[in-house]
Amino acid sequence: MNPLFSPALHQQRHQFVINFVKMKKPKMVADLGCNDCKLLKQLKFHREIELLVGVDINGDVIKKKMRGLAPLSANYLQPTCDQLCVELYQGSVTQRDARLRGFHLVTCIELIEHLTLTDLDHFTAVVFGYMTPLSVIISTPNSEYNALLPGLSGFRHRDHKFEWNRAEFRSWALKVCLKYSYKVEFTGVGEAPLGMQDSVGFCSQIGVFYRLEGCTGCNVLPFSDEEDVSPYTLLYSVKYPSLRDNNTLRRVLVSEVLYWAEQLKNRWMEEKSSDRNYNSTFSLTEERAEGFNPTHAAIEGWLAEGMDGPVGCCGTGDVDKCEEMLWRNSLKLESGTGSGYISIPLAVLWSCCPKVSELGGSLRNLRHLLMDEPHVNMSQDGAAVLVKYQEQDEEDDDAYLEDGEYSEASWCSHGVEPEEDWETV
Amino acid sequence: MTGRARARSRGRARGQETAAPGVSKASEPAPVPAPSAEAGLVGRGRQKRGPGPFTEEAALQISAGFQQMKLGERGGRRRDFHDTGINTRQVMEHVKDSKTGSSGAVINLTANYSRILSRPEWVLFQYHVDFKPVMDSRRLRSALLFQHEEVLGPARSFDGALLFLPHRLHNKETVVCSQTRNGENVQITITLTNELPPTSPVCIQFYNIIFRRILRILNMQQIGRNYYNPDDPLEISQHSLTIWPGYATTILRYESSIMMCMDVSHKVLRSETVLSFMANLERKCQGQNYHEMCEKELVGLIVLTKYNNKTYRIDGIAWDHTPINTFKKGSADISFKDYYKNQYALDIKDANQVLLVSHVKKMVITGDAPPGPAMLVPELCYLTGLTDKMRKDFTIMKDLSAHTRLNPDQREKRLTSFLSNIQRNAEAQTEMTKWGLSFDKQLLKLTGRVLGGERLFQGSQWYDYNPQTADWSREMRGLSVISSPPLNCWLLFHTKRNSSEAQSLLQSLNKVSAPLVYFVQYLPLIFVAHIHVVVILPNNNKDRYDTVKKYLCLDCPTPSQCVVGRTLSRPQALMTVATKIVLQMACKMGGELWSVEIPLKQLMIVGIDCYHDTTAGKRSIGALVASLNPTMSRWYSKCVLQHQGQEIMDGLKTALSGALKDYHKFNNCLPARIIVYRDGVGDGQLQSVVNYEVSQIMDCIRSMEQDYKPKLSVVVVKKRISSRFFTYFQDRLTNPPPGTVIDTEVTRPEWYDFYIVSQAVRSGSVSPTHYNVVYDTSGLKPDHMQRLTYKLCHMYYNWQGIIRVPAPCQYAHKLAFLVGQSIHKQPNAQLDDFLFYL
Repeated sequence: MNPLFSPALHQQRHQFVINFVKMKKPKMVADLGCNDCKLLKQLKFHREIELLVGVDINGDVIKKKMRGLAPLSANYLQPTCDQLCVELYQGSVTQRDARLRGFHLVTCIELIEHLTLTDLDHFTAVVFGYMTPLSVIISTPNSEYNALLPGLSGFRHRDHKFEWNRAEFRSWALKVCLKYSYKVEFTGVGEAPLGMQDSVGFCSQIGVFYRLEGCTGCNVLPFSDEEDVSPYTLLYSVKYPSLRDNNTLRRVLVSEVLYWAEQLKNRWMEEKSSDRNYNSTFSLTEERAEGFNPTHAAIEGWLAEGMDGPVGCCGTGDVDKCEEMLWRNSLKLESGTGSGYISIPLAVLWSCCPKVSELGGSLRNLRHLLMDEPHVNMSQDGAAVLVKYQEQDEEDDDAYLEDGEYSEASWCSHGVEPEEDWETV
Repeated sequence: MTGRARARSRGRARGQETAAPGVSKASEPAPVPAPSAEAGLVGRGRQKRGPGPFTEEAALQISAGFQQMKLGERGGRRRDFHDTGINTRQVMEHVKDSKTGSSGAVINLTANYSRILSRPEWVLFQYHVDFKPVMDSRRLRSALLFQHEEVLGPARSFDGALLFLPHRLHNKETVVCSQTRNGENVQITITLTNELPPTSPVCIQFYNIIFRRILRILNMQQIGRNYYNPDDPLEISQHSLTIWPGYATTILRYESSIMMCMDVSHKVLRSETVLSFMANLERKCQGQNYHEMCEKELVGLIVLTKYNNKTYRIDGIAWDHTPINTFKKGSADISFKDYYKNQYALDIKDANQVLLVSHVKKMVITGDAPPGPAMLVPELCYLTGLTDKMRKDFTIMKDLSAHTRLNPDQREKRLTSFLSNIQRNAEAQTEMTKWGLSFDKQLLKLTGRVLGGERLFQGSQWYDYNPQTADWSREMRGLSVISSPPLNCWLLFHTKRNSSEAQSLLQSLNKVSAPLVYFVQYLPLIFVAHIHVVVILPNNNKDRYDTVKKYLCLDCPTPSQCVVGRTLSRPQALMTVATKIVLQMACKMGGELWSVEIPLKQLMIVGIDCYHDTTAGKRSIGALVASLNPTMSRWYSKCVLQHQGQEIMDGLKTALSGALKDYHKFNNCLPARIIVYRDGVGDGQLQSVVNYEVSQIMDCIRSMEQDYKPKLSVVVVKKRISSRFFTYFQDRLTNPPPGTVIDTEVTRPEWYDFYIVSQAVRSGSVSPTHYNVVYDTSGLKPDHMQRLTYKLCHMYYNWQGIIRVPAPCQYAHKLAFLVGQSIHKQPNAQLDDFLFYL
């Protein structure tokens, strides 16, 4: 069978919604009649959305597919700043539920034709009168197009209660607008063959409704004094990891800081050891004696003055140069008793690793975030991260035991009784 | 997972032969040749009993046909990783009744298994579903069928043709009517075709599917074959690694019951994209052989994509492709950049990056062109796992193992908490009870036996070792080895920088070797027949090592020993190192160090292993090592490089003939028994070993001499298994001692198999080795087979202790590894009689 539409009509409908989302960037989106969550699954990639809700009367179809809306491994691995919460409800669109109010966009894709006309009135009242979203997208079959669908008699689906032509849809939509003060634009997907576009229209007609009232954005709710009703059953709810969550931010930041601190330490040690090869004599004490650190004082200064660090010189592009200047001399060995530490000033981390500065926000904030972090070892004044310094990695110590005295193995001459002969058995 | 998921995305129907005739057969692994239908069905439980719709015979036929069929959650499975349905035990008369041994002291063990409990009369009802008119779309078929929930009930599983229910429908045949969206009436006939007992293969698959659902309910992420918990990551920040704790689970029919084997698994992930990895690499290379380096580092790694949870193996890099390149989507061309933008709202920032190539093994539907490789955008791929370079990095591995190495106590706690998490989760419980299933809350308790320690002989002297440590390096000191070739002619190479290390090595070698019988002298550069070369390498540089080994294994066949200078720089360890070097030099030249008593005459032990080269055109290398003398101290070693499309055994056949000829040269007769230990068999490859390799081995033996019929055993050795055993020692859960044999409960009823814990570990949980005797005409008692295997674990000359596998397997592994990693060619035949690769 030759597909009538390419891409398929349902994909075109979803694409229409996605294009709308891309353009208008709504933060709270609800899909009524979400069925197997296909549209939601595509929408969740658009991270402008912060709350994504699906409602369907059939809880079983939702349950079957809802886990597809769970965060991906990558979402955990590298959380972004974007927030996203997905909630799925079983419920009827003819019922009011306070949790669905005040959305930026509500979509009803091929939904209304499944409602009886009485239910449609309830639905209209609920969506436009109670939920009062900023915008609504409603798609429904255009019965004028049915003549072009091969082998179709009657409605497109046995459950359809009605299929409207363009005029019927238009008159219903305009009535809705009048009553609930919305405005509507008509469009559609699934173009008719060339030359018939005007006479037939789109296969699926779409009405895009916008709330009037001038005060877009603020959602003054006329029903706010009414007590909260929540007849919908929450089936699934998941929160995507986000850097705006303080715990996640801390975790990611600590990881980055420790990683970069380790990197800097390694580079520093490499340089030192190449010096050592040249000098051939190198001792810890010597190194410590020359542990002069000009930039350290400077950093203290910035912190004291409440400046955000040396952003001016490295914020743009010349990281390398700045790095060169900063880190070479500012790392130093802080040798206590026994084990030594290398101190890496926060400012160096800040300027060398864009990710750290991005996450930290400001140098001061970075210090604040790291100060009470058990995994990060900070210097007393909180201006530097301390990284353990190991003199050469200990060779795999279990491979070679200490060369002790020869153990007195009890040896005797060859006089043990031999094993039974297995052959004979 | 990837295979199934892809099949799923294509919406391929499984079992619906009418839709695509012959497809599912072609794409499935060859069915198990049920040796005789009857035998294959014995023990399948009560197939037909009571008021069933079929005669006994008919039911047998149905279920015989069923053996070849696999149930898929959606779409199909590519491979059976559990090697089910390969019934090798039934043809071995001597183990038909019992395959358990008898020696050793009984020990109480806990295993990482949990029983699946079901009602005693539990049966899975299998129905065939017929649609009239025929419906092509599987999705539509499901939708139509599920319109009748009141008939089917809440628990049901339908794969497009077969319907499984936990209860019996009222009638044998149920007819219902559904209507399509177009108002077309469809008549659906649901006919009972089978009642499956809990042990039937389909039920087992079924349990696994249900269990996967439960893991999803517990919010676990599937990566590869296992499930991981992303909510509780372990961060190894200094190396930018993230570890997700998770579980590897399999539900299978074991010796006496259906159980779930579960093990803690850790997934190493990196929050670094391939793009940034490549950028770092490029900076390091500074333009020099960047392409080469990049391929070396990346090919073979598994990446996780940003936009779905699929993993791909990098098979190559398309240096001439960028995200601007287009591919065909439907009928239109679309660039990668636009595609990801439209589909996933992902902006590709670097339009100049090259693309990665992954050869996905898709099932090809007849008529479709075979799918091309998948092209991946580095910016959208995360690295998973460790690179070879990281594996070699001591600090990384140390930090990793601090997190991932669990001692028996910790491991057991994790597993029991996993079980109780399942118990506590209401949703998971509903899913289980819906099907009438539950898990045992406790880990399996069973008994094993601990074999006694072996006595080691060195010439006329012998000693025992401490069975707890399974190590005799102390006991060995001061004893002379069995035999050693004169070591008076050898060369030491070093760089100028390492001259002080060279001096101290020389001194220590002299000291160490004096009691060990050989002479050590420093000679000027001359080449003679029995020469040995010691090379002190300035660092860990692999290329230099490779060059040295290549030259000394190919062009100028000489046993050689490399040592990194730094190893010699620590004076306190120098004596130990020197001892090891001397021992290694000795056995590389044909010396014999120690032996254990092996009460079998005219025996040849063969070890086989392979190495899969990920870089050099994915060439596999097979190695075969065979014993040449009664004390198992001299070995014949041969390595073959597999050619494209060739089975590894084809080349090893010639190696085996070579081994038999060499044995004849040493003993003036051919061996009367041959025992082959075959290592390196992957999950799901058992079938080919049983069917193909065993007959190849027999062919080879037959071709030696007329009427030459030695006794032959073939044992498949598996190290990478998830079974773990623990025992209580002084009220603490610990590892079982070396020599623990397990041959009940957790073995498989259709195999002659057993587990041995042969090695001792200092930290973490010991992993047992699984031995599966797939062919055996030796008539050896299981007890003797087990003990012989254990004895052979004592014979690896590179380690003065017991190892995980029989020595020939480890030798074969070493050889294959050396050739695969460094030499890439068949070593010179003059070295065949020496353990030159140690």
